[in-house]
Amino acid sequence: MTEVPPLPISVVVTDDLERSRLTVFFRLLLAIPHLIVVIVWGIAAFAVAVVLWLALLVEGKAPGTLQKFVASYIRYSTQVSAYINLAADPYPAFGGAVGYPIDLEIELATRQSRGRVAARLVLAFPALLLLAVLGGGFSGANFTTFSSSTSGDGGDLWALGWSSGGVAMTAAFLAWFASLARGKMPLGLRDLIAYCIGYTAQAMGYLLLVTDRYPTTDPARVVPFARLPPHAVRLELSDEVRRSRLTVFFRFPLAVPHLIWLTLWSMLVLVLVTPAWLIALVIGRLPSFLHRFFAAWIRYTTHVLAFLYVIGGPFPGFTGAAGRYPVDIAFAPPERQRRAVTAFRLFLAFPALVLAGAYGTAALVVALLGWWAALFTGRMPEGLRNLGAVSLRYSAQATAYLFLVTESYAYAAPALRDRPRNVQLELPFDAPGVGPTAIEAV
Amino acid sequence: MRIKPLDLRLGRGVRVALVVVAGLAWVWCALLLLRSAVPTDLRAVRLDTTTIFGKALVRRAEHVERFFLIVWVLSQIALFATLWVYARRGPRFARESAAGPIGTGMLLGMLGLGIVWLVQLPFGALGLWWARRYDLSDIGYLEWAFGDWFELAAAFTSICVTLLIVMFLARRLGEAWWIPGAAVFVVIGAGFAFAQPYLLAETTPLGDPSLRRAATEFEQKQGVGGIPVSVEDVSGTTSQANAYAVGFGASRKIVLWSTMVDGTFTDREVRAVLAHEIGHHSSDHIPKSLAWFGLFALPGAWILMRATRRRGGMGEAAAIPLALLVVAALQLALSPAQSWISRGMESEADWKALQTTRDPAAVRGLFVGFARTSLGDPDPPAWAHILLDSHPTLAQRVAMAEAWRRQQP
Repeated sequence: MTEVPPLPISVVVTDDLERSRLTVFFRLLLAIPHLIVVIVWGIAAFAVAVVLWLALLVEGKAPGTLQKFVASYIRYSTQVSAYINLAADPYPAFGGAVGYPIDLEIELATRQSRGRVAARLVLAFPALLLLAVLGGGFSGANFTTFSSSTSGDGGDLWALGWSSGGVAMTAAFLAWFASLARGKMPLGLRDLIAYCIGYTAQAMGYLLLVTDRYPTTDPARVVPFARLPPHAVRLELSDEVRRSRLTVFFRFPLAVPHLIWLTLWSMLVLVLVTPAWLIALVIGRLPSFLHRFFAAWIRYTTHVLAFLYVIGGPFPGFTGAAGRYPVDIAFAPPERQRRAVTAFRLFLAFPALVLAGAYGTAALVVALLGWWAALFTGRMPEGLRNLGAVSLRYSAQATAYLFLVTESYAYAAPALRDRPRNVQLELPFDAPGVGPTAIEAV
Repeated sequence: MRIKPLDLRLGRGVRVALVVVAGLAWVWCALLLLRSAVPTDLRAVRLDTTTIFGKALVRRAEHVERFFLIVWVLSQIALFATLWVYARRGPRFARESAAGPIGTGMLLGMLGLGIVWLVQLPFGALGLWWARRYDLSDIGYLEWAFGDWFELAAAFTSICVTLLIVMFLARRLGEAWWIPGAAVFVVIGAGFAFAQPYLLAETTPLGDPSLRRAATEFEQKQGVGGIPVSVEDVSGTTSQANAYAVGFGASRKIVLWSTMVDGTFTDREVRAVLAHEIGHHSSDHIPKSLAWFGLFALPGAWILMRATRRRGGMGEAAAIPLALLVVAALQLALSPAQSWISRGMESEADWKALQTTRDPAAVRGLFVGFARTSLGDPDPPAWAHILLDSHPTLAQRVAMAEAWRRQQP
């Protein structure tokens, strides 16, 4: 097996998930002084990055002091971002102290390839596009300010990122309610926000010439500590990243027959879901035949989306059969479900559906970037593929919860691997059944 | 899967007799369908095209048409070269599928269409460039390309449905699939033909009261009634004029392009167009076309069955690339017959228009107008006419009007 080099900018998490309700409630207001500093420092950091760019172009080597200045800015903005997005609880130090619960380890790259430096802004564009939908940073606010003054296109990109909220902001929005209610941050949401923050730090480090390693979206590398708890709905990923350029080029029209079939199937599912809900309320579980039918539909949806988004390679079948597609969903057998949870399923599913929407936006960008990458290289970048797979896994879990296939709530962390079963779960709460409950695992 | 050979367990003599009977039935049906209102003893009138259409227009139309024909020939060469290569190498794309035999067949069918679309794209762009150069089209290149992309998605869906039926039947019935297969396609074709008026782009009812009255009068004369006449707005897309009859039974409809009623043509000429389109409906040309489709579908499906036998038959995904080549070859081979049948129907509609309007001068003016607006060659090369023309040449249509005039007492 090839040794994977460590990331030059990696996120370190020592957060204990405890949250002060009072500071959570006033979090945005409390962060205002930090925001001012971040903006001012950000303008300076971008100006310094221009000097760095010139120095690297001329000498092929970056002045260490200037690079450290920019790296410090990235660390500080990461900590402020973690504070605002509720990934960490303590009020950060102005200037960014080492040892904050969400911190960065940064390895400076003083020598960088001149060619890659020269084209840095162009090369960084895909990463910035992803950053816009993941939205885990504060550098964005600065970038808007910077770009609006220079009428650059990046400003529009960032405006898009902020206006659409991004995955991190959606997760933070949900986490705000959960933290206020429980005094603890749900682990899944914390890991998701940490992932977005970690990716943002990598992307900004690349753009601002702290490193010349291209940022990876692979959740296993950005947040290697994130693991999935046992769940009734699991993703089974056996996909090879090789892609046929021809099927990639025609990916959308090839998917059209599937989309038509999926629409028809979905209409039938929508017709059946109300009777299914009533039956589940009466008998306390979903009948086996409905469980199979809904599970096949969710599996088929995942196959089709995986194909459409280039997350999966082969053309999928039309039946949603288990074990036939390299991006597959496995379901536990039908389980007993609490009637109270079943009765309010639609309302309980709402946060998961909101987050699934944010994840879905990320999957669209994955599809766009993956399409180009696969078309040119004949391979889907593994990081993009894994982010897309996480998105599909979350969407499948949220849909399965909504459609009564399981009572286990969708787990938000961007993880593909299961937590080993013989290891004590580090969930903040006791998790009944096979999976986490609604509030803990959003 | 091994495909069962067609085995009806009949003796050779019986089989030959069956084929002869089927052949005779085919010919009898074809003769029935070929019956036309155009008098068989109509004396052809030889006309000088330059006198009717003007020397400059004829030259210009020939020049425009020549380019389109060259592009068509080149595109056909590219098409068959592509399909030949795909027939040999296409089956390897089966490894890109996790969809089972029928789903994989669909994938191979769609990929084949996609490759053909890609190969044809430059020729389409050349054609569009030429049409724009001579003001025959106002469509932008981007609009054309993206519009084509959605058409491609529709074509992909159609081929999926087709392959689903054919492969399902072939896997169930073995080599006998072609008999029910042809019947299923005639039924589907009939369904599409019936539903087509409801699937058209947005149209508005014909506004001109005098034209509406004329349409009602012509319907009475031709023994039909209640056919709605609509106008399709094509402004901003093309400057060419056209009209068409769609649907049958309760769905019958006539559609005039807006370029037909924007003042380019006189009311008398538009009336001639209305009478022509009503003539299509009163002669049952659309049901007859479906019947022709059925007559050709049966032997066509049989040929397809035989041609794909070496690849395991139509039940196997590996046979699909070859099947695409065979279908394209069949289409090209049958195009002279199809064009000839279509020209016969158009002649009949022209004749009915003359009988109904009794205005050969308007008919003549109409076709001269068509030559002017569409730059159609009044007298194209014989090979192109035989192979491609679904309508009589403009010169022939004017000649028919002249022949009708001379026939009158």
